[in-house]
Amino acid sequence: MVRFENVGMRYGPGPEVLRDVTFALEAGSFTFLTGPSGAGKTTLLKLMLLAEPPSRGLIRLFGNDLATTRRKDFPAIRRRIGVVFQDFRLLDHLSAFDNVSLPLRLAGGRPDDYARDVEELLTWVGLGERMRAKPATLSGGEQQRVAIARAVVARPDLLLADEPTGNVDADIGERLIRLFGELNRLGTTVLIATHDRALLAALPKAREMRLVDGRLVELRAGRAA
Amino acid sequence: MSAAKPSARILPREAGAAPLDIVIAIMAFLAALALGASLITDRAAEGWRAGLSGHLTVQVLPPDHGPPNPALELETDAALSVLRATPGIVHAAAVSQADTLNLVEPWLGQGALVSDLPLPRLIDATLLPGAHIDIPALAARLIAAAPDSVLDDHAHWIARLKAMADTLIWSAYAVLALIAIATAATVAFATRAGLEAHHDIVTLLHQMGAQSGFIARAFEWHYFLSVLGAALVGAGCAAILFAAASGLEFAGVEAVPFLPPLTLHASELIWLAAVPLASGLIALGTARLSVLAALRGIY
Repeated sequence: MVRFENVGMRYGPGPEVLRDVTFALEAGSFTFLTGPSGAGKTTLLKLMLLAEPPSRGLIRLFGNDLATTRRKDFPAIRRRIGVVFQDFRLLDHLSAFDNVSLPLRLAGGRPDDYARDVEELLTWVGLGERMRAKPATLSGGEQQRVAIARAVVARPDLLLADEPTGNVDADIGERLIRLFGELNRLGTTVLIATHDRALLAALPKAREMRLVDGRLVELRAGRAA
Repeated sequence: MSAAKPSARILPREAGAAPLDIVIAIMAFLAALALGASLITDRAAEGWRAGLSGHLTVQVLPPDHGPPNPALELETDAALSVLRATPGIVHAAAVSQADTLNLVEPWLGQGALVSDLPLPRLIDATLLPGAHIDIPALAARLIAAAPDSVLDDHAHWIARLKAMADTLIWSAYAVLALIAIATAATVAFATRAGLEAHHDIVTLLHQMGAQSGFIARAFEWHYFLSVLGAALVGAGCAAILFAAASGLEFAGVEAVPFLPPLTLHASELIWLAAVPLASGLIALGTARLSVLAALRGIY
C-alpha cells in the first residue's frame, strides 16, 4: 500500500527534516504516528499525500513508484487518499454539506447520487442540523468533524489524519475513533498523527511509529484495529 | 433534514472585482464603437460606390481663353447622340445651366459674375445594371463627334473612395484587435491575481485529486461570466449611443456635414452583441491557459 525507503526531506537549503525514513504500511493496517512537535510528522504526511516531492529516497503508493509515475496520473492517486488536515482547510464560502461532498464531486459524482450519503455522514458526526452552515459559523470542534467527514466520505483506500481529535470533546472523540475503526474494518488503511495518548489507548491493537528528530522508530507492532 | 442544494460555485465571488469590471466595460464600449464605425463606413462606401458606378459623366469644355465656343451646344448634342446610340446606356441627358450653377454654388456662391463664367456643359448618363461599356472606345467616339468632350467613368473616385473606406474599416479592425489583446492581458493579470487570492483553495483542490481541467473550469467560468456581464454593460452603452444618433437623424439633426449619418440599422445593432460574447470567450480561453500554466508549476 505505502512504502518509504531511505526517504530524506529538506526545505530549500535547510537541514533535513526527515532522515532515512523507511517503513511500509500494509493494506488494511491501522497506524499511529507519534512524536514531539517539530519531529517531522506533518512533513511525512505531506509526502504521503503527494503535496511535496521528497529530497531523496523512494516512495511507492498503491504500487506506483512516484519518481517514475507520470504527473497526469497523480490526481487519480490523490483521490484514493482521504486527508484530515490539522488546520481543517475547509472552503469558507461552501456549506458543511458542500465541503463534505467535495471529494465526491471531484470524482465526477452527481449530487442526486451522493446527497443522501453526505447527509447521513454529517448526521452521524453530529452535524445533521448544521448542514447548511458555513465554516465561519461552526465551532472548532464542528469544523474538525466536517473535515473528518470530508476525508472519509469517498471511502478512501488510505486515510491520513493530522491530530484529528485535537478540538473535540471526549464523547465526539470516541465517536470519531469508532468511525476510523469502522473504516479500517471496511478495508481502509489508516495513519493518524497524534499527541493524544488516549487515542492510542483506545486502539491498543494499532501499530505505533514514533518520529524523533526526523528519524522513525517503531514502538509497537500492530494488527488491524 | 433534507440537504442541501449543492453549490455549483467552487470559487467565491470576489469582493474586489469591480475594477476589472469597469476596465472591461470601458474596453467593450470602445470595441463596440469601433465595430459600429466599421459597419457604418462599409455601408456608406457601398452606397457611394453604387451611386457612382452606374453613371458616366461627359463634360463638354468651353475654351480656357477667348470668346465662348458657339459650337458648344452642337457638340453637346453630338455627344448626347453618341451616348444614346451606345448599347448599355439607358439614359443620357444634359444637365441644365441652372443645375450646373447649383453644383458650383457651394464654392463660388451666387450672382451674375458666376453665370458669366465659362462653365462646361455636363451630360449625365445612366448605365444598365451590370452593363459593360468599353470606356476607351466610347471616349474615342465622343472625341470624334465632339472634340471638346471629356468622358469620366468615376473609376478614379471609386478607387479613392474604396481606398479610404478600406483604410477606415481596417483601422477599426486594428482597434478591435488591440482591444482584444488588452482584454486578454487584463484577464490574464486578473486570473493570476485570482490564483494568488485563491491559492489555498487551488492547493486544496489539487491535493484532493482535482484534475487540472476541473480547477481551470472553475476559473474560466468565473471570468467568462464576470467579463460577459461587464462587456454587456459596455456594448449596451454603445448601442444606446448609436440608437440616440438614429433618433437625432430622425429628428433631422445632421451629425457631421458631408459624412454619412452615424446610425446603425437594427440588423447591424445585432452585431454589437458579438463584442460581449467575444470578450467572454477571450476571458474564458485566457483564464484557462493561465490556470493550467500555474498548475504545471505545482507538484
